[in-house]
Amino acid sequence: MNRIAEASLIVGSAVLAALGVAIANLSSGGSVDAQVALTFVSFVVSWGGLWVTVRRLTPGANPYLLPLASILSAVGMVEVYRLNPSLGSLQRWWLLTAAALGSLTILWLRDGTAVLRRYRYLLLMAGVLLLMSPLLPGSLPLGGVTVNGSRLWLRLNLWGDSSLQFQPGELGKLALIVFFASYLAERRQALTLVHRKVGTLEIPEPRQLMPLLVAWLASLIVMVYQRDLGASLLLFAVFMAMLYMATGQAVFPLTGVGLFAIGTAGAFQAFSHVQRRYSAWIAPFDDFEGAGYQIVQSLFAMGSGSIAGSGIGLGRPDLIPSAATDFIFAAIAEETGFVGAVGVLIGFALLVAAGFGIAVRSRDPFRKLLAAGITTVIGVQSIIIIGGVTRLLPLTGITLPFMSYGGSSLLSNTVALSILLVISQEEHR
Amino acid sequence: MPPIIANLLKIAFIGLMYLFLWLVSRSIGSHLGGDAGVPVLARRAGGKVAIITSESQAGVVAEIRGSLVMGRNEEADLVLQDSYASGFHLRFTFDDDQLQVQDLGTTNGTYVNGRRITASTLLSKGDTVQVGKTIMEVQ
Repeated sequence: MNRIAEASLIVGSAVLAALGVAIANLSSGGSVDAQVALTFVSFVVSWGGLWVTVRRLTPGANPYLLPLASILSAVGMVEVYRLNPSLGSLQRWWLLTAAALGSLTILWLRDGTAVLRRYRYLLLMAGVLLLMSPLLPGSLPLGGVTVNGSRLWLRLNLWGDSSLQFQPGELGKLALIVFFASYLAERRQALTLVHRKVGTLEIPEPRQLMPLLVAWLASLIVMVYQRDLGASLLLFAVFMAMLYMATGQAVFPLTGVGLFAIGTAGAFQAFSHVQRRYSAWIAPFDDFEGAGYQIVQSLFAMGSGSIAGSGIGLGRPDLIPSAATDFIFAAIAEETGFVGAVGVLIGFALLVAAGFGIAVRSRDPFRKLLAAGITTVIGVQSIIIIGGVTRLLPLTGITLPFMSYGGSSLLSNTVALSILLVISQEEHR
Repeated sequence: MPPIIANLLKIAFIGLMYLFLWLVSRSIGSHLGGDAGVPVLARRAGGKVAIITSESQAGVVAEIRGSLVMGRNEEADLVLQDSYASGFHLRFTFDDDQLQVQDLGTTNGTYVNGRRITASTLLSKGDTVQVGKTIMEVQ
């Protein structure tokens, strides 16, 4: 793909975002206003700016990642704006900030990702601290906040009543993946030493299973103390996937699934909110005014969207609680229908395929595992939340990468995308 | 807004989204067909092929001088212990610092980096060549 084609795709996503905002304006009975121009400009400046950085500093980087992320964020932006115009204009600022942070990441890593490997224990500490930081008492100037029963937010109290909230776990997750990648790249030989064979299964020494146990305990802690089922499931699944990719031994994922089953059964017995989630998944209509309300509204939304959707601004996705964040996929499926929802899935599939393509072509085990790990996070996170809102899986609240409203998620995903871009450049040397 | 315009706008939005996805997929498709984006000169093959996965031959390294035929037949230069391999399965040639592989018209085929080859194929360092259950890596 040449430069002109790449640039046209980025501009194309800006046009799509502007067109969607214009349609939302018209549907709500108003006329096309300045929001359309602002959306267009913010997309050209953010994704276009990031693209210029990539072309200048890492000219051999994979050409598909940025256009795909920009189209997904365009569709997400339209739906967020349509649900709540003021969230839409906030999201524009987050988008600009995310692109700036992505450019800085590329500038920092332009000579290669080896520097990440050198600081891995620092990154492990940073990751754990970021994940645990919401447990700080809320009375401190920088303290945790409980939102919807989960303790994932950190609030920085500024002057007076004003404050800034963010989810530190999003960046913590990325730091942990970098650590996993460098740890596994170094230890994979030891991990694959065969201790004995049971049937066709090769069993490594028992102590080599320790990292798996540690990851399991860490994700249980996240689940118990922060009540964040989604993040805990995501972290564990990604670690297990990376362990399997590093060793190629089936015993790791099999043990992992066993540990996961034990953890889930334990959590089900111990926590009432886990039981509520389960019954809302199996039989949402039994309590559709209570625990099942959100998922039932989501199913109604997607059902009334039918094949081609109601049209942007013409459905009622606002009836779904937290439609702009966790349930953005259901809102998009209502207003653009099955056709639009499948388009979003194709976008994610292409993004994940491009990411694994980078991993496959990487010669260095650290870069290979890092690229695969980042791609797995994006893929698994999309599956967990899309599966959740369509009632394929029990609902665990996490964001849909690049689409949901939310600064922390957009920032960390853009930084992750920038690392992927740098890795794809390194294979060109 | 009249319904007809609402419908047209809806189709325009979804249509633009699909046009975009189609352009990207088409471009990825053409990208896959060509080189994988890695310059060949940077990792020129050294004329050695190592068997990395096999029922009984893992670790065997074949050094190719001129040409070398692998297959199940006793007459082959390197006898493969793989029931999916043909008698004379493939030929490596190393000439002018260029390592090439050619399938000798077999039933089960020869795969380079997971892709079945139909003609003589230039190999680079790190490429994998698969015959039945045997996987070799170019060194």
